[in-house]
Amino acid sequence: MWGVIKSVLWAFLGVQRDEQRREDFEKGSPLAFIITGVVLGLLLVAILAVVAVWVAG
Amino acid sequence: MAPKVPPQPTLEQSTAAAEAGHGHAHEAPPKGIMRWLLTTNHKEIGTMYLIFSLIMFFIGGIFALVVRLELFQPGMQFVNPEFFNQMTTMHGLIMVFAAVMPAFTGLANWMIPLQIGAPDMALPRLNNFSFWLLPVAFGLLLSTLFMPGGGPNFGWTFYAPLSTTYAPPSTTFFILSLHIAGISSILGAINIIATILNMRAPGMRMMDMPLFVWTWLITSFLLIAVMPVLAGVITMMLMDINFGTSFFNAAGGGDPVLFQHLFWFFGHPEVYIMILPAFGIVSAIIPAFARKRLFGYASMVYATGAIAVLSFLVWGHHMFVVGMPLAAQLFFMYATMLIAVPTGVKIFNWVTTLFRGSISFEPPMLFALAFVVLFTIGGFSGLMLAIAPADFQYHDTYFVVAHFHYVLVPGAIFSIIAAVYFWLPKWTGHYPNVRLAQWHFWLSVISVNLTFFPMHFSGLAGMPRRIPDYALQFADFNMVSSIGAFMFGFSQLLFVAVIVMCVRGGQKAPAAAWGEFADDLEWSVPSPAPLHTFETPPTFKRPAH
Amino acid sequence: MRTLLVRLAGGLTLVGSSQVALASGWNMPVGVTDLSREIYNLHMAIFWICVVIGVIVFGVMFYSLFRYRHSKGAKAANFHENTTVEIIWTAIPLLILVGMAIPATATLKKIYDPSDAELDVLVTGQQWRWRYEYLGEDVAFNSNLATPRAQIRGDEERGEHYLLEVDEPLVLPINRKVRFLFTSDDVIHAWWVPDFAVKQDTVPGFITENWVRINEPGIYRGQCAELCGVDHAFMPIVVHAVEEEEFDAWLAERQEMAAEEAMGIDREWELDELMERGEGVYGSICASCHQVEGEGSPPAFPALAGNEQMLADLEWHKDVIINGVSGTAMPSFRTTLNPVELAAVITYTRNAWGNDSGDVVQPAEIAERLE
Repeated sequence: MWGVIKSVLWAFLGVQRDEQRREDFEKGSPLAFIITGVVLGLLLVAILAVVAVWVAG
Repeated sequence: MAPKVPPQPTLEQSTAAAEAGHGHAHEAPPKGIMRWLLTTNHKEIGTMYLIFSLIMFFIGGIFALVVRLELFQPGMQFVNPEFFNQMTTMHGLIMVFAAVMPAFTGLANWMIPLQIGAPDMALPRLNNFSFWLLPVAFGLLLSTLFMPGGGPNFGWTFYAPLSTTYAPPSTTFFILSLHIAGISSILGAINIIATILNMRAPGMRMMDMPLFVWTWLITSFLLIAVMPVLAGVITMMLMDINFGTSFFNAAGGGDPVLFQHLFWFFGHPEVYIMILPAFGIVSAIIPAFARKRLFGYASMVYATGAIAVLSFLVWGHHMFVVGMPLAAQLFFMYATMLIAVPTGVKIFNWVTTLFRGSISFEPPMLFALAFVVLFTIGGFSGLMLAIAPADFQYHDTYFVVAHFHYVLVPGAIFSIIAAVYFWLPKWTGHYPNVRLAQWHFWLSVISVNLTFFPMHFSGLAGMPRRIPDYALQFADFNMVSSIGAFMFGFSQLLFVAVIVMCVRGGQKAPAAAWGEFADDLEWSVPSPAPLHTFETPPTFKRPAH
Repeated sequence: MRTLLVRLAGGLTLVGSSQVALASGWNMPVGVTDLSREIYNLHMAIFWICVVIGVIVFGVMFYSLFRYRHSKGAKAANFHENTTVEIIWTAIPLLILVGMAIPATATLKKIYDPSDAELDVLVTGQQWRWRYEYLGEDVAFNSNLATPRAQIRGDEERGEHYLLEVDEPLVLPINRKVRFLFTSDDVIHAWWVPDFAVKQDTVPGFITENWVRINEPGIYRGQCAELCGVDHAFMPIVVHAVEEEEFDAWLAERQEMAAEEAMGIDREWELDELMERGEGVYGSICASCHQVEGEGSPPAFPALAGNEQMLADLEWHKDVIINGVSGTAMPSFRTTLNPVELAAVITYTRNAWGNDSGDVVQPAEIAERLE
């Protein structure tokens, strides 16, 4: 699980090692990556929103 | 490591088999116009898309030249302000929806099946339908220019209530034509996704796909996500105009700003729809002529995905002066600045691919290199525009016009030209005329900067966009822009000349027309590519280098 | 190259009117408020960051293009990945962006703080003019383009402030915090004065706000920045920023004028008087759509000369002018014009261009109807 999260987080930055990428794509189903991606995407929105509201006071 | 696949005939065998045994499987195509009306062949449909977009590129270009002619000097000389507004609007609509988008779809039609080793698109009849919707949609749109009250005159962003309560009667036709074009885009996107997910050659995994295929896959999802939003917002307009609703009419309790939120929720991903396939094209061309593998393939894919996700979070940066709350303003500013990171990754990767390569400068490479430099300049002005306080000064000025033309003309359009020069040998069997293509390149690259660079200055100096007449201090910049625009417009005739000459004849191209680093599957079929390819799937082998 | 000379002349006079104008022409003006200076500094900071990144990236790129030419026998290396390098070149831009976001946030918070304003001005966008109302001071007026159409057509020499001049400028005091409230009567416009770094959309049915505290007296010019229809290019903004005492005197004078105008409502007006007043109102308010000779531009803007419905039905005519026609481009002039102006323009349109109905509409009738 942590491995999937780590891969998705790297993807958000747009950086990945070739071996890790190969390893990720050996896993049978992309579902775990898609779900993690969506969840982390929403998390990013939430964090940005919280920061913006907090800064705006 | 590689998944187990049943033994496959080699490419030579499959092509030979196609020539020998499968010939009868294809009935003789209907002759004349019916052949093109009824074709379900991805290559023919791709060709039609490309020719359609080239024609529309010239029509949209003529509209732009009318605008630049009027802006050559202060004062109203050639057209009246009403017609001027119709020209700016039509120029934007035609270039976005009828030139750039269909050009990328045409390239996708031609190249995606060839690059993944598929015999055709997954849904060939639907493919025919999505193309033939386009001439209908844009014939209708262009016909509004001849209707009483004239065509759309509210800018390509058609902000309500200028586009509803205050719009010309032809607006209903404008809405219908956008609906048809939107359906075409959605069907095209469904087709591309179905093809890529289901029809890859045995042995080709997602991460083995060429980047053009990857970027188009992500673009297709963007299209499916946002085209319905556009359809929704124009339907709301339709209701406001014809059925007395008040979605965007403040007098009836509606909100004009709601229109902008909906429009830009579509509009910002739309911007990426027009640039992601360009990233794929450039990522194919640069390694081919640097004779070196693309640096950071995996990062490129991930960066494309990150840009696609972020593209849904930044629409508010088009609305910094509309009076959003401070927290929203900050949210959109931060999210927009974040997009610079994955975009930067891509540019660094291309430059690093060039580093310690073995570089030659064939016509596709010239345009791809110009893309990297000039798109980056457009990216820089984009970064400046992201700074919300500064945007209070930049917003709706020629600075913005300069910015989005830098990403769209030497960005999207140069990538399309590069793609055409790159794949012409595959399409026609001949190399494009180098000398003429070089003239085309140098004239284009000089005139595009002559046109759009001064717009940064006129915008910073205070010239608003979409005005038919301007104060005297902007005169010099506008004169230079107009001269550049006419140069650029006429230089594109050279492009047509190169294409026509290339179809007719020229230096013969082998199957692998651009050497060993242009090694995707399309270069394994003969040049010109026969009408039917990969009827028996090839076995995909990962490139050795 | 006549334009170049005109431009130079224009540049010189600008320098005369305000010292910071030197920067204008090629770059964003520094402006005459603390905030405009802050925004200018942000603009220059991000600009130089882009220049530095550009020099590095393009430097490496052009070095590679030159050094590793195939024609000079360059052999390609065989590397295609380096995670460390990639992490570095994502981390550095991220840090730069955070560094830019902090000052940008601080400036934005100041822009969003219009508290403690000493003067409120309601700015209303209309196709195609600005209306200014000094809230609580009983002073309001319209501000129209003053450049003659003959200059636009090119029949006359263009003046130095071509398209950037108005009949009645907005007058503001320096050194006082002025809060603007923006709205619109029709479509979305945007009020923009570059020297103040204030640009705000005016949205029909909604109020947006922004503020300014001007440091130097002078004449500052701007334009509508949001496409608002045919005459979008022809609704400029001119602000006279004056010393505080001068402003107070000006405001008192305008209040007196307004009171005098209010008294005019009750007296009986002659046809000639109303025609004269009406011609002025028509020229500045109505002519942009219905044209100077009342010929209109159908279908959007009907002709008024010989308009049978209008001439046959006086009550309908009054209603259209006062309340507008919903669903069309005809706005309500209830608040834009005072009773004298309304009566004058109705009388004028009923008697000009051969309409010759002889009807005289008295300001008093209109005032009664408005209540």
